[in-house]
Formats: sequence, C-alpha cells, structure tokens
Amino acid sequence: MRSRAAQVALTAAAWAATTVLVPLLAAAQADPVPGVSVERVLFGQSAAFSGPAAELGRGMRLGIQAAFKEANDTGGVHGRRLELVTVDDGYEPEAAIRNTRRLIEDEGVFALVGGVGTPTSRSAVPVADEAGVPYVAPFTGAGFLRSEPHVINLRSSYAQETEEMVERLTRDLGIDRIAVVIQNDSFGRAGLAGVRAAFEKRGMEAVAIGVYPRNTTAVKTAIVDIKVGRPEAVIMVGAYQPVASLIAWARHIGLDPVFMTLSFVGSNALAEELGPSGAGVYVTQVVPFPTARNSRVAAAYRRALSAHTAGAAPGFVSFEGYLAGRLVIEALERCGSAVDRDRFIETLKNAGSIDLDGFRLVFGDEDNQGSDAVFLTVIDERGRYRPATRLEGAVKR
Amino acid sequence: MIDWFRRLTEARFRIATQLYVGIGGAAALTLAASLVALFAFAQVGDSQSRVNQGTVPELAAAFGVAQGSGTLVAAGPRLTAAENEGELDRTFVEIAPAQRDFERRLEELMDLEAGSDESLGGEAEIASIQARGAELIGNIAAIQQSVAEGFELGAESEALRQELGALQSRIAALLVPALDDQLFYAMTGFRSFEQPPAPFEVHFSEPEIDRYRVLIGLQQDITIIDQLLKSLAVLTDGPDIEPVEERYESSATSIERALSAIGETATSDQLKALFGETLDKSRNSFDLRRREVDVLDRQQELLEQNRDLAARLSDDVESLVAASRSRSDAATVAASQAIRTGRALLIGLNVVSIAGAVFIAWLFVGRLLVRRFEALSSSMREMAGGNLEAEIGIGGKDEVADMAAALEVFRRHALEVQRLNLVEKLADELKEKNDELEVVLADLQKAQDQIVMREKLAALGELTAGVAHEIKNPLNFVKNFSEVSGELLEEVEEIMKENEDGSLDEDQREEIAEIFEDLSGNLKLILSHGERANRIVNDMLKMGRGAAGRERADINRLIDEHIGLAYHSARATDPNFNLTIEKDFDPDLGTLEVVSQDVGRVFLNLVSNACYATNERRQKSADESYEPTLTVTTRKMDDGVEVRVRDNGNGIPRDVVDKIFNPFFTTKPTDQGTGLGLALSADIVREHGGMIRVDTEPGEYTEMIVELSAAPPDFDYPTP
Repeated sequence: MRSRAAQVALTAAAWAATTVLVPLLAAAQADPVPGVSVERVLFGQSAAFSGPAAELGRGMRLGIQAAFKEANDTGGVHGRRLELVTVDDGYEPEAAIRNTRRLIEDEGVFALVGGVGTPTSRSAVPVADEAGVPYVAPFTGAGFLRSEPHVINLRSSYAQETEEMVERLTRDLGIDRIAVVIQNDSFGRAGLAGVRAAFEKRGMEAVAIGVYPRNTTAVKTAIVDIKVGRPEAVIMVGAYQPVASLIAWARHIGLDPVFMTLSFVGSNALAEELGPSGAGVYVTQVVPFPTARNSRVAAAYRRALSAHTAGAAPGFVSFEGYLAGRLVIEALERCGSAVDRDRFIETLKNAGSIDLDGFRLVFGDEDNQGSDAVFLTVIDERGRYRPATRLEGAVKR
Repeated sequence: MIDWFRRLTEARFRIATQLYVGIGGAAALTLAASLVALFAFAQVGDSQSRVNQGTVPELAAAFGVAQGSGTLVAAGPRLTAAENEGELDRTFVEIAPAQRDFERRLEELMDLEAGSDESLGGEAEIASIQARGAELIGNIAAIQQSVAEGFELGAESEALRQELGALQSRIAALLVPALDDQLFYAMTGFRSFEQPPAPFEVHFSEPEIDRYRVLIGLQQDITIIDQLLKSLAVLTDGPDIEPVEERYESSATSIERALSAIGETATSDQLKALFGETLDKSRNSFDLRRREVDVLDRQQELLEQNRDLAARLSDDVESLVAASRSRSDAATVAASQAIRTGRALLIGLNVVSIAGAVFIAWLFVGRLLVRRFEALSSSMREMAGGNLEAEIGIGGKDEVADMAAALEVFRRHALEVQRLNLVEKLADELKEKNDELEVVLADLQKAQDQIVMREKLAALGELTAGVAHEIKNPLNFVKNFSEVSGELLEEVEEIMKENEDGSLDEDQREEIAEIFEDLSGNLKLILSHGERANRIVNDMLKMGRGAAGRERADINRLIDEHIGLAYHSARATDPNFNLTIEKDFDPDLGTLEVVSQDVGRVFLNLVSNACYATNERRQKSADESYEPTLTVTTRKMDDGVEVRVRDNGNGIPRDVVDKIFNPFFTTKPTDQGTGLGLALSADIVREHGGMIRVDTEPGEYTEMIVELSAAPPDFDYPTP
C-alpha cells in the first residue's frame, strides 16, 4: 500500500516536473533581461560627441571603454563581456530623449551610463525611469538627480562643488565680492542655486550675475554685466568654450578677478581652449588628480587608459568615465550571474561602502550618490593643471 | 313498389341506418365548419399577403436607406478626422461598402416603387428619400475632396513652417553674437583681440548705441513674428486672422525699417537677406491659413448638411412608416373582421354538432342501444351461469331484437338437453367416486396394519430383554436345585455303600429319608420355577401373536409387570442405569375389562420413556447426587382408574409438548425411536374410552396421566 502511494507520488512529481517546471524554465530562458545574454552585457551612452560639450562626451566614453576593456581582458564579469553603444545628442535635450528611447527600445541596452549634461539628463531620466532602466553615473552634479529612483550618481553634486568654491574664496582669500556667470539653462540654474546656498550660509550676496545663451559663446554681455559689480572673484557655471571665451575677454579688457569654475566645464578642454591665458583659473574636480603619483585609483586609471589607447593623455573627464565604468563593473560583480535591472540598483543601494582602489563610494537607501569628494585644481602658467590645496590669489601673468 | 316502401320505412328502425345517418350528419357539419374556416383563413391570408408583398418590403427598404444614411453621416467626421492622405484613403475605402450598400438600398426602394402594380401610397416620401440620398452621396464625395485639399494645404504650410524655422535659427545664430559683440563694443570699445580698443567717444557713441538698439529691435520683432505665426497656426475662424496679420505687418514694417538703418557690414547683409526671405515667406502663411480655414469651414458645412439630410431622411422614412402603418392597420382590421366572422360561424356549427352528438348519445346510444345490449348481456350471463329458466324479454324491430329472439330459441333447446342428461350423469359420477373411495380405504387399512405391526415388533424387541431376565431367574433355580439334588443323590449312594452287605442301619435310613425329603422339596421348587418360565414364555408368545381379546385384568398387576419389563429392558441397554421405583398402588383398584396386551404396552411405553428421560438427565447432569426416580400412582375413580407415571427426568421442552402425541414425532436419535409410541398409546387409551395427558416442567419432571374408563365403549375390535 505504502509503496503504491510512493509510486503515485513519484509519478505526480514527475508529471509536475515535466508540465510545470520545464515550461517555467523555458519561460525563464525565453524572457531574458534586456541587454544581458550569456556572453555580454550591453550598456548605452547618450552624450555630446559634437558641439561645444563634445570633449565631455568623448572623455566619458574613453574612460568607460578603458574600464570595460580592463574587465573584458580578464574574462569579463561572470563570464560576460561588457559592451558600450554610444549615441551623440550634441548636448540637446530633444536629441537626448530620442537617443535614450532608441538605446532602450532598439538597442535593448541593460542600463544607461555616462550621460553628459544637466538639461540632457533632465530629459533622459524620465524616459529611463519609465522603462525601469538604470541611469548610472551621469556627468552632472545637478541636485534633482539625487532623488531619482533609477539614477545612480558617482560624483559630488554641484552644490558641493560651489560650496567648496565659496568656502575656499572666503576662507583662503577673504574675498566677499563674488560674481556669478551662468549658462541660461537648468545646468546654469543648478550651479546658481548651489552658489546661492553657499552665500546664504554666510550672509552674502552675488555682486553681479551674468547670463549667456546656451550653446553659444555670446558671453560678452555677461562680462559687461559682472564688470559693473567690480567682483574680486567670478564663479562660472558653463561649458568650456564660453567659459574660456569669458575668461579671455574679461582678462583682455582688464577684468581679472579669481576665476573659478565647476568640473563640468571639461577641464582639459578648458585648459586647451585658454592656452597660456588660463593661468590661475581654479577648477573644482570630483575625481582625484589623474596624474597624481600617490593615488592608487589614479594609477589604475592611467594603466587602463594606456592599455586602451596607447599614448592617450589622462584627464579629469575620462577619469570620471573610468570610475563610472568601474562602478558598473563592481555592481555587476555584486549582483552575481542572475542580474536584472532592479537587482542592479538594489545591490548598489544596499552595498554600503564600495572601495575602488582607494576611491570610496557610499550608497544608501536614500543616498544614490556615491562620492562626496571635491578636489581643487588650478591651471598653471604653462596651461597645465596642478592640484591645489588652497587658493593663492590671482596668479600673476 | 309498396313492398319497397315498406322495407324503407322498416329500415329506419335499424341501428345501421341510424348510425349511418348520425355519422353522415357529423361529417356534413365538420365539412361545413372546415369550409367556413378555410374561407376565413383565406381572407386573413389575403390581407396579410397584401401587407407582406407591398408594405413590408417597402418599409424594410426605407429603413435600410435610413440606416445606410446614418452610417454615411457617421462616416463624414471620420473622413475629416483623418490625419494624413493615407488615412483618408483607408477611411474612404472602409466606408465605400457602406456607400455602395446605401446606393443599393436606394435602388431597391426605387425598384419596389416602380414594380408595384397597385399604388401603395408614399410615392412623395420615396421620391424625397431618393433625392436626399443622392445629395448625401454627393456630399460625402465633396467632403473627401475637401479633406484631400486640406491635406495639400497642410503639407504646404508645414513646409513653410520648416523653412521659416530654419531661417530663424540662422537669424538667431547671427543675431545673438552680433548683439553680444555690439553691446561689448559699445561698453568697452573692444571688437577683437587683435585690435586695440576704440576710444570711448567712438565706441560709446550715438550710432553704436543705435546700432545696438536696432539689433535688439530686430530680435524682438523676429520673436514677435514667430509668436504670431505660431498663434496663426491654431486659428480656426477666418475673421480672427485679420488682427494677427495686422500685427504681423507692423512688426514686418519695423523690421524693414531696422534693416535699412543697420548699415553695411557683412553680418548686416546676411541679416538683411535672411530677414527679407523670412518676411516674404511668412506672408504666405496668412493666405495659406485662410484657405485652410475655408476648407475646414466647408467640411463643417458639409457635415452639417449631412446631419440635416439624415434627419430629413429619417423624417421621410417615418412618414412612409406612418402611411404603411395606416395601410397595414386597414389590412389588420379586414383580417380581424374575417377572423371574427369565421369564429362566429365555427362556434355556431360546433354548438350544433355538440348538441346533435349529445342528443344522439343520450337518445340512441344510451336509451336504445346500451340498455338493450345490457339486458341481452345479462340474459346471456344468466344462461352461462346455468339458469336457463329465465325468459328473454326484449322486443323491438332492430338487430338487438333479432339477437334476443335467436338467444331465446337457443335457451329452450339447452333447457331440454340439460334436463335429459342430468340424471344419467349423476349416477355415473357416484359410482366412480365409490370405487375410488374403496381403493383408498383398502390402501389405508393396509398402511395402518403395517404401522401397527411395526410398532408391535418394536415393543417386542423391548420386551425381549425384560423377558430374558425373567426367564433367567427360574432357570437359575432349576439349575441350582438340580445340582443340589444331584449331590443329595450321591450322598444317598455313598450311604448305601457304607455297609458292605448293603444293609442299612436305622441312622442311615433316617439320613436317607431326610435326603429324599429334601430332594422332594427341590423337585417341587424346580417344577414351580419351570412353570414360571413356561408362563413367561407363553405370555410373550401371546403378545407376539399380535392380537388379543378383551378380558378382565388386574390393573395393578398389569402395571407392575410392565414396569419391571421396561426397567430391565432399559438396564439391558445401559447396565450403569439404576432407577428408584416408588409404587403407590390403590389396593381397591380391582380389575377392568381391557385388552391387557395393549394396555400393558401403554405402560411399557410410558415407563420406557421415563427411563430414557431420567437416564438422559443422569448422563448430562454433573450432579452426583441426582437419583433417577420413578413414581407410579394408581387411584380408583368413580368411573374408572387413574394412573400417574412421574419421573424426575429432563422434562419436555414447551415448544414440543403439543406435538408429542403426533405420529412419528420423536426427540430420540433416529435409530432409537419410531415416533409412534405415544401416538399408539394415545390411540389405545382412547379405544378404551380413556384419555392420556401430560404435565411437565422442563429440567424437572414429566408426569403422564392415564385415565381408563370402567365402562369402555363398545367397539369393533378384532378378536383372535
């Protein structure tokens, strides 16, 4: 009797296995996570590869690809190669929306990484959010990205950078006449909001505010505007071409306060654009100095960079791109082989502290921003960056 | 002739005639009812078919037209809602079947109107429906054309918008840096890195500031124009376009003025060209928009017309329906009139039929036929039951009367034959029965003899054991005394040989004389016991012979003897069996005239049963102290004797106590009892004018009580 019951049970189990489990497994195979296959994980990047912000897109792409190559050369992540497909949005929000849709729907990417710009991110994030696609390490410090559920930020916010600027200006140089020049868009407004917060903390006000139209170099009106305020320092929130133009023209007409600008400016491009006239311009950075001898993460970056493109010059943007790539790789490692989009984000948010060769990232349930670090750099007489620990007044030419 | 007439008058009394007449009448009535119904139905059908052939198809076709018009009217907005040429074509293809259907329905309606030979009314409505239908079809085509035209205009204005947009971007790309530069120059005097700054009075001069103002004005005007064109694109009312155009013209004038004042630089030349082109092109926008609005208005108008047409169509259909309804109402009235007439006639005929049927059933079937048939049938039943005496009193001139007459003849014949046969038959039957009874009687006698003989043999077997014992005692005496006598004779011989001379002395003589005396006594005893044995054997023989006569017998002695016989018989079967026998005999009992053999057998049987019962109890009981006891009591009664044979055996179960006198009933094992003992005993006692009954307590005792009468009945008993 008992053996008969056991037989029946076995038969039932076998039946269940064939009729229930097999279709389930088949379904599991038939409905894979987009962008993830046995051999690869596909990421997408919509960024500016043309126009005044092109250097930023190119730098981010280079860094991400260097990090991916580094991982792929050692067998990928859980046996999967990492691949990046990039599309140019020319720093235009409409193009960013189109590109993001295309990457998600046509290319079927697993996640978006290394987007460039505040207005573009602002347009792309809702698209990614609707599709449940992670939006990782955009090259912007805008505040609103710090509360989006599908966004993972690598870098410090603009508010943290501007706070550092105002702190240094007031603390190191005792300056209180500060003017602000912003690009007439959400990036500029985000930067201005950061500066104002820092001012408010100290009971200060901007002596003048200059505005220039986005995607132009028509900055002269802004120069005229800030000149009226007789500023001792100018904090600039804009792209590298107009910022370079602004510094050049301001100095040309004899207006020579301490110029400070955000990382977003695209530091290397800025230095190039300025040439020798850029000396003494301070730029806050969200990554360590790329050529620093005493930084493990910088060394790793340089190794990866030269492995990817022999002779490529290290830079802040490609360094940030490299860190973005490293963050993605770390997250995938931690997800295990059964990765999906939600798991990717959950894993990062639950990761606590992540150490990328000494560069520390901390995430949490309410904290989607990894790093809080701001580094100060200055352009020297030869038009090269060097790290700065404190401000030293306008560099004499 | 007279004969024929008489037969005819007689025939009317015949049942056949009456039935034929009745059925014929019913058939005639049914035929009449059917004709009435047929006529009424034909009339109704006629009215209905007039409605069916004329009004109904016409109505159906009219409704079809109304329905089709609804579909077409609904299709209008679908055409106007089409967003591009492809969609318009698709929609048109989609509604094409509806349009064809509508046209077909219109034609159907026309054909119907043309094909009907008599006027159905509603021609005016149908003509109106046709006219409106044609108009509707025309409108649909017009709508399609208008929408297509709208698309062309839309495409044109879209192209214009694109062009203007591109022009504006180019203007902005020139104007924004130009403004920036002009302001910077006016404020600082710097035009480029290479040139040294202009002196203040040069750069901050009226013309430079004017130039800046002109550029600002251009920027404002181009923005205004952009806004105006955008608002133009959403205007849908022709009159609203006018003020927009007015404002556009003033901005255009302002731009033209500014362009003429801007001076002659490379940038200003480019700007002039771009602005000129922009103004030329944007002016077309207004004309284009007006045409678009016209097209839209026309579409709306057509749609409105369509709705109106559909409403009018449905009005026409409604009035057609009203006309048809009045016609069909007339037909319905005619039909219901026909139905009413037919119904009245049918009811009348039915009433007549039912009344006729009831009358025929009551008068003819009930009164004449059934009653007469019942009388005839009861006469027949009586004859069948053997009563041939009753006369059949049915008169009349019909078939029943004929049958009654024939039956009467039959009855008389049967009566005669019956009387003749009866006596002879009875005699024969009696003789036959007698013979049968005799045979049965003989058989019974034979069976009874056999049964009695069997029981006798059984009793004899039982006796033999007792008898053997009885005989053994006397024979022992004979043997012993013979031996003693032999010894005495040897003693005499020795005494006589004591003296050699053979003389006997006195003592010897005396001794011999004593011995002789003893011998003589012995011989007497031997004789006596021999006689006893002889008597026992005689008794047995007497019993074995099987028949005996009635004689006076001492009942106490008879009972005593048979108790002994039965007891010894039981002891012979089971030597371990001991029975205490208590006898309480009434000494005044005396003699009775009985067949002593039979009565003896009764007591032999009763005591045997008592022995069996007590022995059974002894063997089954574990009680060592149980003592089988038999008590036999005799009492003299007024008219006989009573004998009680009581034992303390295991009694008789209550369920069988009533059966013990039944022949062949026994509780003994199959080979030990015949089941006839008590049955025969009861017979014997009954034959002696007495009775036998039983008193018993299961497990305690059984008492058989036998009463024998002093004056037995005189019965025929076979004598030896």
